[in-house]
Amino acid sequence: MRHRIVAALLPNRAIDRTTALLLVAAWVLAALLCWVFSPFATLPTPAEVFAALSDLWWRRGLGPEVGTTLKLILHALVLTVAISLALSYATVIAACRPLVEAVCKLRFLGLTGLIFPFTLLTGGGYPLKVALLTFGMATFFTTAMAQVVMDIPQERFDHMRVLGASEARILWEVVVRGTLDRALDITRQNVAIGWSMITMVEGISRAEGGVGALILNQNKHFRLAEVYAILIVILLLGLLMDYGMGALERLLCPYAHLERVRR
Amino acid sequence: MSVSEMPSGQVLLRVDEVSLRLGGTLILDRVTFEVRDRIRQDQVTGQVVSLLGPSGVGKTRLLRILAGLDTPDAGRLTGPDNRPLPPGSVGFVFQHYPLLRHRTVLENLIIAGTCNGMTHDEARQRARQLLQRFQLDHRSSFYPAQLSGGQRQRVAIAQQLVRHKGLLLMDEPFSGLDPAALEDVMRLLIEVAHMHELNTIMVVTHDIRAALLVSDTVFMLGRDRHPDGTPIPGARIQGVYDLVARGLAWREDLEDQPAFLQLEREIKGRFRSL
Ligand SMILES: Nc1ncnc2c1ncn2[C@@H]1O[C@H](COP(=O)(O)OP(=O)(O)OP(=O)(O)O)[C@@H](O)[C@H]1O
Ligand SMILES: [Mg+2]
Repeated sequence: MRHRIVAALLPNRAIDRTTALLLVAAWVLAALLCWVFSPFATLPTPAEVFAALSDLWWRRGLGPEVGTTLKLILHALVLTVAISLALSYATVIAACRPLVEAVCKLRFLGLTGLIFPFTLLTGGGYPLKVALLTFGMATFFTTAMAQVVMDIPQERFDHMRVLGASEARILWEVVVRGTLDRALDITRQNVAIGWSMITMVEGISRAEGGVGALILNQNKHFRLAEVYAILIVILLLGLLMDYGMGALERLLCPYAHLERVRR
Repeated sequence: MSVSEMPSGQVLLRVDEVSLRLGGTLILDRVTFEVRDRIRQDQVTGQVVSLLGPSGVGKTRLLRILAGLDTPDAGRLTGPDNRPLPPGSVGFVFQHYPLLRHRTVLENLIIAGTCNGMTHDEARQRARQLLQRFQLDHRSSFYPAQLSGGQRQRVAIAQQLVRHKGLLLMDEPFSGLDPAALEDVMRLLIEVAHMHELNTIMVVTHDIRAALLVSDTVFMLGRDRHPDGTPIPGARIQGVYDLVARGLAWREDLEDQPAFLQLEREIKGRFRSL
């Protein structure tokens, strides 16, 4: 036990699984204690939040709203992955690089200013939301992934050339397959970016629902317990998707975690 | 038969006045040498040549040119029959043994075959053979990240042997090995070289003793110096040591030979002036 505590407190130490779980439990406990004993009167108590959650779920259809949002995010995610991967792999062609650079720079625009032009393009409604979310995620995804592709060491290309591989084979083996673990990693981060933009996007037409719209409505009426309840649902969903992506990565790229430096 | 009568066969590699500039500096200045088939009666004898030279002199660059990865600014490379080296006929074991990190050991070897027009089954069969020969069969389903340094090196070498290559270049294969591992690699290298009469292995190394132990020929690459000691840009072949002619090749007891020790001292001495 002593050595576990020591290992957990000193820098650059490796810890075992049990210690890691104990650490997580300790932090969760600390967070709960902070919440219960919080001096801020505006913070609803856990009991209030729980009551609000059950009310939202059983009587105000939180379940279907979650479904609406999940569908939106997954739809945008599929488009994002397809567009961004194509753009990132295209950086191996010199002629495409300026285009990809430009797409990456678009991430500075933010979404608010784009609502109007995108409405004109898509006609509003669900397609508008998908387009906005895809735009938001794809710019970040492309930025990260294009960097991964450009950072592939020259040596990997040379190695395949010496083996006699054709350039198409090199593209597949080194650029596409060789960066799959990173692509999954970035997809994982992008899901989080998607969630963080959801309120903004769903706020455009609240009538169509979704948890983002729900949270905005509760906000308007200062129903804090409800807001926190929805936040907790979003957090849990996010964690679940994150965990799912992690599992997928371990399944498809078992080599990736072998290389990760564990101190 | 005395050494002077030793027949020497056809030219296997000729490097003719190869020059290279990088960033405005002359790195290689009309580098010229040739490797000929060594012939021993009743024995398949491949060639092992070493390229020695101070750090930064251009050894790796020369290997890259031989492998077709870099184009020289001038000069010619030819293989047997005075013809240009056919593409894909030169193997290259890089210094840090790159492997496809997302492929297992077996898949790494199979890809080396299928890249070269072998069918998947042929490549697989050949890969299994090589893994067995290099005592790696129990590691065939491992990923590169799970290999030790020495295993990784053997996989990298095996990968280059899936398809027969007349010329195999190795950049610093002896660095960072303990004495036993060094002996293993030297043995492996000699074994690979003697698999085929026309095989040539060219080794770049800083380990003079290891170079002398495995080679039949040693080339020194170096720059000239001004009288005040500053190097003049542009490395050339500054010396060729024919170890066969000196009776210092293909024998086990080399390290006990006074002539061997003397040559080692001589080469070390030359190094300081390059
Ligand atoms: N891209 C480049 N631009 C300019 N100079 C370069 C470039 N790449 C390499 N050089 C120079 O070319 C020279 C030869 O490099 P090379 O890697 O062939 O040396 P080396 O003989 O293999 O050295 P070492 O034994 O340390 O590996 C070095 O002096 C290096 O500084
Ligand atoms: Mg080098």
